[in-house]
Amino acid sequence: MLLLAAGCGPAGPPQFRVNLEGYDAERVSQFQRQSIVEPLAELFGTPDEPLVPAGTGLQPELLAMAAGPVGSDEEGRSRGLYRQHCATCHGVSGDGAGPTASIQDPYPRDFRWGVMKYTSTAGGAKPVHEDLDRLLRRGIPGTAMPAFNNLADEEIEALVEYVKYLSIRGETELLVVAQVVQQDDYPVDRDVLIEDYLLPTAHWWELARSLVVERAEAEPLRPALATHDERTASIRRGYALYSSKNAQCTQCHGPEGRGDGPQADALYDDRNKRKLNEPPERFALPIQKLRPRDFTEGIFHGGSRPIDLYWRVHVGIKGTPMPAGGPGPGSGGVLKPEEIWDVVEYVRSRGE
Amino acid sequence: MSKRYTRRQFMGRAGAAAAGAAALGFGVPAVVHGGEGQWANLTGRFVYDGTPPEREKLKVDKDVECCGKYDIRDESLMVGEDGGLAGVFVYVRTRSVEVCPALAEAVEARVTLDNRDCIFIPHCMTIWYEKQEFYIVNSDPIAQNVAFSPLGDVPANIVLSPAPGENVDATYSFRRKQSVPVPIACNYHPWESAYILPQAHPYAAISAPDGTFAIESLPVGELEFQVWHERVGYLETHQWSRGRFEIIIPPEGLDLGTIKLAPALFEKDE
Repeated sequence: MLLLAAGCGPAGPPQFRVNLEGYDAERVSQFQRQSIVEPLAELFGTPDEPLVPAGTGLQPELLAMAAGPVGSDEEGRSRGLYRQHCATCHGVSGDGAGPTASIQDPYPRDFRWGVMKYTSTAGGAKPVHEDLDRLLRRGIPGTAMPAFNNLADEEIEALVEYVKYLSIRGETELLVVAQVVQQDDYPVDRDVLIEDYLLPTAHWWELARSLVVERAEAEPLRPALATHDERTASIRRGYALYSSKNAQCTQCHGPEGRGDGPQADALYDDRNKRKLNEPPERFALPIQKLRPRDFTEGIFHGGSRPIDLYWRVHVGIKGTPMPAGGPGPGSGGVLKPEEIWDVVEYVRSRGE
Repeated sequence: MSKRYTRRQFMGRAGAAAAGAAALGFGVPAVVHGGEGQWANLTGRFVYDGTPPEREKLKVDKDVECCGKYDIRDESLMVGEDGGLAGVFVYVRTRSVEVCPALAEAVEARVTLDNRDCIFIPHCMTIWYEKQEFYIVNSDPIAQNVAFSPLGDVPANIVLSPAPGENVDATYSFRRKQSVPVPIACNYHPWESAYILPQAHPYAAISAPDGTFAIESLPVGELEFQVWHERVGYLETHQWSRGRFEIIIPPEGLDLGTIKLAPALFEKDE
């Protein structure tokens, strides 16, 4: 059963696995499965032949390069980039449960929840294109995610587009499954599928552009760091802010940034938090804790440039307990931009 | 065949349809409910039919200088003196239920969640997301966090500075309804919890400490309701499959009377 689901063997072309994470799959009837699989196949196609639902703004030519089996077409353009570079970890369905996922810490991203950790966008927003592009090119240091900067620009674009496709499909599926399985309400009305599930999901991706914390606006607010004294002053200020009761950084990251705060041993990202107190057989991978960063390692998953660290503190890390420290929609934030730069300087100093 | 929507069209559509029809006074085809413009109430009282267990004291191991002085206990089963069960959500499940215009005018602009005495107050809330804003405030002298991830909606992970001071409040707008209440957590103080139910109408109530609930000005006619309680999820009884029931609201309103709930329903699954 598992092999067939993963797309091996004589069963035919690979299919997307239904996302029943957290549910008791044995209690889901054939009719329920059909009510999930059929509308999604009609809208999104298959791993070999993706379809672009209207209103999502996805580009079919890019998807065509990423989808399908590895090879190239008559014009020599790449095909199957996703399967070649990504599926071993992220899975054909983008479920973060590919063949090598179980031995990784952290697990590869499950795109289907529509949550990306390292973004430049405020307030729970999706990433923008540049965020994903950067991630693919640089990889995620300290994890199994490699840097793909040797791929051609167009190939990276194709992969970014395909990840977005898997994510939009995944989130739409989440809503369908919630209705069909959790609510025991099926079949899904087509209008509801498009207008309540698909279009709002696609809309969040469009909206992300307006929530970017612009580098061009953030960087001028950085304090002068030309002299040793200036730098030391910034680090001192940053340390005071880091330790203050305002932002509670030390709770997780510890009094000296070693990732050993009082909360450090009981943290989970959203994907794993779901597994707490639930039967483990309902999930593809066992529960995994989330370790807060130890700055003294000098390795930062989202990148170690000052602007990368600035973004992490300002907008937080989506899907994890790391909150947004800076201003965002609906919230003034506990740190001003200048203060965030000082905190960044402190964090950087710990890794030296 | 799906239609193509621009973002502006999509966001404006729902609001425009309602506003436009009302403003022009055009005959929007009446929803099939008996008696145009008749509104009536649904009331009832939930009773825990037995002696409730003592509320567990929660582990308060963070910010103990501030929070240790409070007697913080589990709020997942709140039974009043004569058995009234609080915190039961009762809400209309019928899609596109007609909403009494008077309610739209009287609705409060905000639903407020307070961080006070190291817990969330109130523990349970409902919100008419199209009309109301979720306002979150910190009244405690320690930094607080409010985190929730409504399905298909924008996740929130908000930090609030210690009160009094700057940045002690925030607002959040839900953009879709949810079928079950959304759990709210605090990453700094793991014992804290609350629930909020965003709906596309005001017909959602939570039973009070004495177990009573009232949903006012419902459209007369047949409606389906969902009943939910944090301890069990759907409040399934032998009459309510999956915690749902369908009834006809008559013009004079309907009182469901006392609804006794067996303690066995609320047993925590281990």
